Amino acid sequence: MNAGRGIAVLQLSGELEIGRKQEIRDNLQLRGGEESVLVDCSNVTYADSTALAELLRFRGEAERRNVPVAILIRSRQFARIVQYAGLGETFEIFEDRGEALSYLAGGRTP
Amino acid sequence: MTGRCELRLNCSAMPDRAKPLRHALGAFLRAIEIDADVAMDILTAVGETVVNVIEHAYGHVARSSSGLVEVVALAEKAQPLRVDVIDGGAFVHRRVPRPGHGFGLRIVRAIARDVSIDANDTGTHVKMLFDLSDPRDP
Repeated sequence: MNAGRGIAVLQLSGELEIGRKQEIRDNLQLRGGEESVLVDCSNVTYADSTALAELLRFRGEAERRNVPVAILIRSRQFARIVQYAGLGETFEIFEDRGEALSYLAGGRTP
Repeated sequence: MTGRCELRLNCSAMPDRAKPLRHALGAFLRAIEIDADVAMDILTAVGETVVNVIEHAYGHVARSSSGLVEVVALAEKAQPLRVDVIDGGAFVHRRVPRPGHGFGLRIVRAIARDVSIDANDTGTHVKMLFDLSDPRDP
């Protein structure tokens, strides 16, 4: 999916947990040509450290290719586990899709 | 909640078992009327402990479903909730976490009031105590 302005959207939903590790990894891949990526987790209801590790891997890969990444998180559990893991400052996290897209479109100030 | 309630779950330490274990514990926490936000954190912490067993306790053995994980939750009136996670494998502790790994215990310690780990030749027993009021409440 593409949100325009070179922003690719990767959708994840449901419970992101160890039983879906390979599926999460398969979804979190750069296809080439993206200027930036929105990881849309607005329909995620649960996440564990498996999901955090995969997001961290993806963010590292994107950073090496100079592709900014924003993550849309609305689940309280997901938002909390990011904080508990000490990753609150590592990811660019948004609750609002419009703000995330604005950030990726060039604002770059979360 | 009145009296004493105990839940005991036992299953293979396989990746596809984490979700049903977590949901069964979630049903127990709802049944004993634990606050939803507190229950959410408890499920996160216990979920991480179970993930640790699945990923590390049995190594390649877990893939053949011969390793087990047991979750025991004990609720008593006016006491913190106690949840034990028990396995028969090896405890893996990395002093220097690899990038993208090692979040589990940090998450558990951030949530639980107290965590103790008893690891020996026969397996690992993680004991967690959880306060049943949300510290974020004013």
